[in-house]
Amino acid sequence: MDPLLLGALVAIFTVVVLFSGVSVALGLLIVSAGFLIVFDGMRSLELMPEILFGKLNNFALLSIPMFIIMGASIASTRAGADLYEALERWLTRVPGGLVISNLGACALFAAMSGSSPATCAAIGKMGIPEMRKRGFPDGVAAGSIAAGGTLGILIPPSVTMIVYGIATETSIGRLFLAGVIPGLLLVALFMAWSLYSTWRSGDAAALTARSYSWRERVEILPRVLPFLAIILGVLYAMYGGIATPSETAAVGALLCLVIAMVIYRLWNPADLWAVLRDSTKESVMILFIIAAAGVFSYMLSSLFITQSIAEWIGTLDVNRWVLMGAINVFLLIAGFFLPPVAVILMAAPILLPIITSAGFDPIWFAVVLTINMEIGLISPPVGLNLYVINGIAPDIKLKTILVGSLPFVGCMVLAIVLLCLFPGLATWLPDLVMGPRI
Amino acid sequence: ADLRLSHQWSDNDVRHKVAQIVADEVAAADVDLDIRIFPTESLFKAREQYTPLSRGQLDMTVLPLSYAGGQQPAYNLTLMPGLVKNHDHAARLNDSPFMDAIEQKMAEDDVMVLVHGYLAGGFAATDGCITKPEDMAGLQTRAAGKSFEQMLAGAGASIASMASSEIYSAMQSGVLDAVNTSSSSFVSYRIYEQVACYTPPGDYALWFMYQPLLMNKSTFDGLDEAQQQALMAAAEKAQAFYLKEAKKEDAESRRVFSEAGVEIADMTAEDFAAWQELAKETSYKAFVEETPGGQELLDMALSVE
Amino acid sequence: MASHSTAAAARAGDNPFLRAVAAISTLAGWCAAAMIVAAVAITCQMIVVRFVLNGSTVWQTEAVVYLVIAATLVGLSYVQRMRGHVNVDLVPLALPPGPRRALCIVTLSVSVAIVAVMLWYGYEYWHFAWERGWRSETVWAVRLWIPYLAIPVGLGLFLLQLVADLVAVILDIDKPFGLEDA
Ligand code: NA
Ligand code: NA
Repeated sequence: MDPLLLGALVAIFTVVVLFSGVSVALGLLIVSAGFLIVFDGMRSLELMPEILFGKLNNFALLSIPMFIIMGASIASTRAGADLYEALERWLTRVPGGLVISNLGACALFAAMSGSSPATCAAIGKMGIPEMRKRGFPDGVAAGSIAAGGTLGILIPPSVTMIVYGIATETSIGRLFLAGVIPGLLLVALFMAWSLYSTWRSGDAAALTARSYSWRERVEILPRVLPFLAIILGVLYAMYGGIATPSETAAVGALLCLVIAMVIYRLWNPADLWAVLRDSTKESVMILFIIAAAGVFSYMLSSLFITQSIAEWIGTLDVNRWVLMGAINVFLLIAGFFLPPVAVILMAAPILLPIITSAGFDPIWFAVVLTINMEIGLISPPVGLNLYVINGIAPDIKLKTILVGSLPFVGCMVLAIVLLCLFPGLATWLPDLVMGPRI
Repeated sequence: ADLRLSHQWSDNDVRHKVAQIVADEVAAADVDLDIRIFPTESLFKAREQYTPLSRGQLDMTVLPLSYAGGQQPAYNLTLMPGLVKNHDHAARLNDSPFMDAIEQKMAEDDVMVLVHGYLAGGFAATDGCITKPEDMAGLQTRAAGKSFEQMLAGAGASIASMASSEIYSAMQSGVLDAVNTSSSSFVSYRIYEQVACYTPPGDYALWFMYQPLLMNKSTFDGLDEAQQQALMAAAEKAQAFYLKEAKKEDAESRRVFSEAGVEIADMTAEDFAAWQELAKETSYKAFVEETPGGQELLDMALSVE
Repeated sequence: MASHSTAAAARAGDNPFLRAVAAISTLAGWCAAAMIVAAVAITCQMIVVRFVLNGSTVWQTEAVVYLVIAATLVGLSYVQRMRGHVNVDLVPLALPPGPRRALCIVTLSVSVAIVAVMLWYGYEYWHFAWERGWRSETVWAVRLWIPYLAIPVGLGLFLLQLVADLVAVILDIDKPFGLEDA
């Protein structure tokens, strides 16, 4: 059978199987096994456990559970609230200081957590009630945290960037740096929108904040120190000649666990177990998808589908920006339904040769792809962050959260456009720190 | 018939070109044999090719044989310090009783060689040159291969294990002081931007890695006469190309490093002897201990002039 | 898919088989968490040895990789029990109870089948490594049947939990897909 036709068949079956409600990882294995049996013979099945093990046999994957532990241990303490409160006390004179503090706290927390829901939960628990109390519209309160939380996978460290780096063999250190400036750009866009919409809605009272004495401001500073210690410690380990990026994750995890236990008194075995349990649960889920996606991409490659699609797109002779637009639409749709890790693992082997031959930079593309995945996290039907907010603030209607988040989707689309116009936003910092690309 | 060939390199690598020559020649022979190449680990990961090859789930591969040293300890001799002195010596090894013994081991796993070939490599360090064992003392280093790790540890170096793709940033940030790998990796990972001195393979070199094009034996036996002959003829042509290109790569790495302003150091006959002495105490000894019949194999290899 | 962080564990009711499987899966979850913690500790130890003591790190990288693989495979059953494997639940949510239950039985049965097949070949692969005395190609030279053991053990436990989930839905002890009736 023609590999392209076969590819279409695989796509249809994958959608049908995944929508049946089976778990994503098992669904990928089921589709792979089906096509391997029919088109490659029963013998291919023998290889599945071997490939499963082989895909996990990679030191860089260690950093996934490590960065998840970082986020989970700090999120289980009141550190997020401290961070947010400190920012609030210092930014009180700034118009709309509260929403700015929240988004700033999301960005800082994102700099420690590799996952978006963790960021969302840590800041939102304190931030959303506070914003609502002070008269911000529910939509802005919920939407800004939902959107700010998505920064977890753009601002380093980022689990999705690690997965992209492994799938495409690009430097993880470089990918991390590439996310910094676009991350700050998104924070700025989010802040601008929040302020504008609050002002427009007539809740101007919310923009004039309460005032704090200098004593109150100084008092809170020590409580931000653990954060600075963690972020500086990780940065120093990663770029200061102590450890490779994958090893750094373990330093971060240990640092966060120790700080949570010593400073935030996370002594209770039940609480500690809760942190480890949640981290284990999320890590195993992600790692199993990675392993299953490995079998899936073996199937695609073995049936020559990956190679044929890349060849076919190469012969299409379309404008490279039309191509990039089409890729973005594809990623967006996939992101609506699937977790970022699954999208990256299924799409990267097919998309990477296409985008590099069209003259796009894989590091830059990682950032575009990540922002696409961020959109998926706050858009229907299965935006993970929307449900996290729903869990924190059950009395805000899901629809209000959704509508409040939509303008932030607009900010993200704008950021993608800006990245297309100025690719240097992503590539300048990694080139500056790590030297020109190899 | 359709055959699948898997390897780990990109399509401008010499090892891909060797595979491509075999595929092209066989196609030109018009014997109803089609070789489909899967480069850059697009089918199997580098170290996970030997098992499917030996079980007939993969037909052909280009592979550093020592990757399978955990399954056949004898293969560790194909990446052993000081065993091969230069490319012409390597070519003589391919026709020796030593290689016959190695091929016998492969036959146990239902594997056979189509194209023999060795690639060489050297040392690079962030300060100072590495030509003799004393130069390694106290350095954090990453070596390519178990036997080299054993020897360099014996020279007083500290061994850090990491993927070759991490070498560049590890040298940049100071995690690594010295590295030992192949000429082509030195160039493709742009290590010359991070080091002060390079010891390329020349008249004397320590690091030679046997990287043949292998085929599943049962699959080969299942082909008809004309197909087998076409494959052997293609392999012969590819082998000549492989030897020529391997020499070229060493020269190329020397040129690239010196043009980048890196100091070039050469190993002398005495240096080579000192390394070999050290290897006898460390890697050779460990090899003989863990390999049944290891001493005999080692002697066979050392006896090739 | 989004329900994964909030949904409760699979229900076992009074059924002794389901309760036993639940206990085994929970134990597996503890083991997985312990292996991840061990991986953190070993990696930090490696950095100290290399950076502070300037010593050799021969076994750490490999040990950590095997621990993370084992944590993943052994943790599968626990995560299944905690409903932590993400899925797209739009269609099940939209279905009335009868078809929803039927769909759930079908997906679980196919899952059981695929995991059983992988368990079979996984056992074979492990046995191959054990019989032939394969070792890893490093100075440490680990006997590979030890890390490979995670394949049959992990997939076996996973199979057990999937069968228990199937039984729970068939006996009406647990809701299909863990979804409460709307
Ligand atoms: Na992050
Ligand atoms: Na979504």
